[in-house]
Amino acid sequence: MRNRRSIHRPWLVALATCVALAGGQALADEDWAAIEAAALDEGNLTVYSTTSRTVTAAEAFQAMTGIQVEVVRLGEQDLIERAYQEGRAGVRNVDMIVVEDWPAAKELLANTGYFVNYVPPNAAERFEPRYQDPLVLGFINRIFGFNTEKHDTDPFTNVWELTMPEYSGRVMIRDVGITGEHQNAFTEWIRRSDEIEAAYTELTGEPLEMTEPNAGLEWIRRFLQNDPIIMTSDTRIGEAVGARGQSDPPYGMFYVFSKHRDIPTLDLAIRESHAMTPTLGYYFPIVLQLSANARNPNAAKLFMEYLTTIEGFGPWADSPGVYTPNPDQVPFEGDMPWAWWEERLWGYDIDFAVQHRGQVLDTWLRYAQR
Amino acid sequence: MRTAVQRFRLTLTPQRVLAVMFLIVLAYLVLVPLFVMLQETFTVHPMERFQIPGSMPGDLTTAHWERTFFGPDSYAFFYRPLINTLIVAVGLSLLALVIGGSLAWLVVRTNLPFKGLISNTAIIPYVMPSWTLALAWIALFKNQRLGGQRGIFESLTGVATPDWFAYGLFPIIITLALHYFPFGFMLIGGAIRNIDAQLEESAELLGAGRMTILRRIVFPLVLPAIFSTFLLTFSRGLGTFGTPHFLGGPVREFVLSTSLYANLIGQRPGIGYLAAVVMIALGVLVLYMDHRIIGARRSFVTISGKGARAGAVDLGRWRLPLGIGVLVFLFSVIAVPIGALAIDTVMLRPGQYSLENFTLHYWIGDAADRIGLATGEYGILRNSQLMGALGNTLQLASVVALICGVLGVLIGYTVVRLRGTVIAKLLDQLSFLPYLMPSIALGSIFLALFAVSRGPIPSLYGTFWLLMIACVVSYLPYAVKAGIGAMMQIGPELEEAAIMAGASWWTRMRRIIFPVQKSSYFSGMLLPFISVTRELSLLILLVTPATQLAATITLRYTDRGWYPYTNGMVLLLIVIVISATMLSRRLMKTDLAKGLGG
Repeated sequence: MRNRRSIHRPWLVALATCVALAGGQALADEDWAAIEAAALDEGNLTVYSTTSRTVTAAEAFQAMTGIQVEVVRLGEQDLIERAYQEGRAGVRNVDMIVVEDWPAAKELLANTGYFVNYVPPNAAERFEPRYQDPLVLGFINRIFGFNTEKHDTDPFTNVWELTMPEYSGRVMIRDVGITGEHQNAFTEWIRRSDEIEAAYTELTGEPLEMTEPNAGLEWIRRFLQNDPIIMTSDTRIGEAVGARGQSDPPYGMFYVFSKHRDIPTLDLAIRESHAMTPTLGYYFPIVLQLSANARNPNAAKLFMEYLTTIEGFGPWADSPGVYTPNPDQVPFEGDMPWAWWEERLWGYDIDFAVQHRGQVLDTWLRYAQR
Repeated sequence: MRTAVQRFRLTLTPQRVLAVMFLIVLAYLVLVPLFVMLQETFTVHPMERFQIPGSMPGDLTTAHWERTFFGPDSYAFFYRPLINTLIVAVGLSLLALVIGGSLAWLVVRTNLPFKGLISNTAIIPYVMPSWTLALAWIALFKNQRLGGQRGIFESLTGVATPDWFAYGLFPIIITLALHYFPFGFMLIGGAIRNIDAQLEESAELLGAGRMTILRRIVFPLVLPAIFSTFLLTFSRGLGTFGTPHFLGGPVREFVLSTSLYANLIGQRPGIGYLAAVVMIALGVLVLYMDHRIIGARRSFVTISGKGARAGAVDLGRWRLPLGIGVLVFLFSVIAVPIGALAIDTVMLRPGQYSLENFTLHYWIGDAADRIGLATGEYGILRNSQLMGALGNTLQLASVVALICGVLGVLIGYTVVRLRGTVIAKLLDQLSFLPYLMPSIALGSIFLALFAVSRGPIPSLYGTFWLLMIACVVSYLPYAVKAGIGAMMQIGPELEEAAIMAGASWWTRMRRIIFPVQKSSYFSGMLLPFISVTRELSLLILLVTPATQLAATITLRYTDRGWYPYTNGMVLLLIVIVISATMLSRRLMKTDLAKGLGG
């Protein structure tokens, strides 16, 4: 019996891959009740996650279903490295991943066939098709922010202002070298470098003279030569920008908007920019993927279904700057809805990002050093 | 005439059998990872192929080497960070030598007061994670550049610190030296203690002045310890990432480890591992210099031993001020960072230091969503996951310490008994090599190596065994150094006598070799124990839910800014390690100095 099952497994996996590739609608045929029953049978689930909120969601899911969920919290690069090595070795440990840095994950985990996309019924029904492959758990905003004790209104309206003497030594950003998502985001500045270039002309009235191959990389060079402050954590950026009683507070670039959740507890004077052009920052997806080799594929599917509901997304919805593709989400108090942000923030093109982020990192490393 | 078989059996002494066994195992655990790392630097990885025209993943390439060493940007990519790395490594080593050496001299050779207290506390800076000092430095000395609350120094004096003082290479060197000076204290202290006072007395009788004695007798005898200290701290200075990145970033001064991390995160392991290879090469270079310069002299130290203790130098009227000065110094490098950690765990709202904000919520509170940081987590001491992880850490640290201890004795025995042979040299150097490998690279390679079964070795993935093996390999250098140091002091006569009396090898080990230097071996176990409790980058890829450790589980609190939990766990680990050190000092008469082969 056992043997027969394992013989048939590869065939099943191949089928699942085909189904996933065919897109969401093909999955409508599957028998959800059977999946639920099988999930309870499996009774266990192992998840690798870059976000610790998955732990909270898993506890609620466990209380509801009785399925034991083990969540391993890993950094973005560690998660991909580990899942990749396991995939190569054929180790069957993880059932699903909650992953950031999708360009790298797609290249190393999805294109290699170690992980497949899966669209649970709720997402198939409620999410827009472009959020279904890969299945997006939610989007995270990274924004520009300023101290509200010093500024009543947005101090900057153009990204090139940050390369001017006025902002010399005053802008904080998490080290692009150790932040895969920053590297992805800047590839969009390459891809849309005509818009970056136009912004320069709009600000100065002059054409942009470049030493770098395009306006996006030119911006990185000029920014780095304007004495920015390289930080190791977004939490520290939020606290440094927002602390009260500063005569000359720094400005935050590309830190996660969700840090504004701490405004009341830490008594911060900080606000996000709504005026920066051509982008208010960037957003990136948190992606859910199913292991092609999962021991508990049904439990994983059930957990994915849960995470696409408003209840399952609860742990992420307790702050601004995190949005589910589920249209039923009510924005966090004081925050704008996802549609508003999506219009004003740049995302990035996955394939372009994979191919060009090496250039971003090289330009960064070339000029970051004082 | 002996038959061939008899001859063979004669050459098959226990130490030779052991030596060959260890060589095979170490070759697999040390040389293979090194080879894999080197191979990776010649390989095109998936995300690297876009910058190497016409290449496919897995192709052989020299592009990473060309780019790093000869490319148009090699100065920015490699040489500049290398220069900074060397400045940090040399600077911190010299400073650690000066601080550690002076303390050692004061404690061993003068009539300084509070000696017991000083030698007990002087090793604690090494017990604390090195980033605690970096955090404390920023809290104390940061200026307006970093925004946020003002630095404590500026609040008190109104004087803003200059940037070069607050951030960059200067504080990196200072904080790392304050973390590593215990190495110098332990090693040099041990060496000074071992100097036979008769040597100095004879010199004095012959009319040598104090300076001549220092220069011609004391210094040469202490030189091996100085070099050992330099080797240990220099190698650590090459690979360390957290502190240099945190303190250097604000003024954009980066070291080589930044290149390793940035390229690993950029999914360009070929380029990243090249930085690791350079670090290892530099370490090997220093190791080689150490062997060339010190190799012949090392035996000086060992022939001394039970000579008379020299009379203590009288510090005169400087006695009390110096004693107090040393205590104040130790207090500020220990109590200040620990205090800074501790106070954050009892403040309900972070950063607001007032009495009404005091709470034990983060230690013993309920899983509340409305109090303080609203973490929804049980307080640390009531949190079963945290306590479980702490248990795993202790278990791992104890097992690793025990295995390292036993291996240290056996390898030390083998190396010393086969002294002068190629095999002994090989074994000695092979067991030190892991000390030079950046742990993030080692962890990743162990994952690749042990995820599948290879030949007789089953897949160890997800098991406690894998964590254990990684840690044992990584911390073996400490234990082997202790083992060799201890063995050097046991003359072969003891064993020869036992052999004549017909004692088997096992009996000799059990009844002579082990008991004679018991305390040294236990000391050799302490450093692995301490190191395991706070290891993160080596193990992060290898832990699974069942083997979750204290250092890895606290990550989930760090990334949400829930520092009371992170700090609380660090404090618990510090308390555990200090208790273990004190307990072993009581029970086993251990001395951390011997743990480094001093």
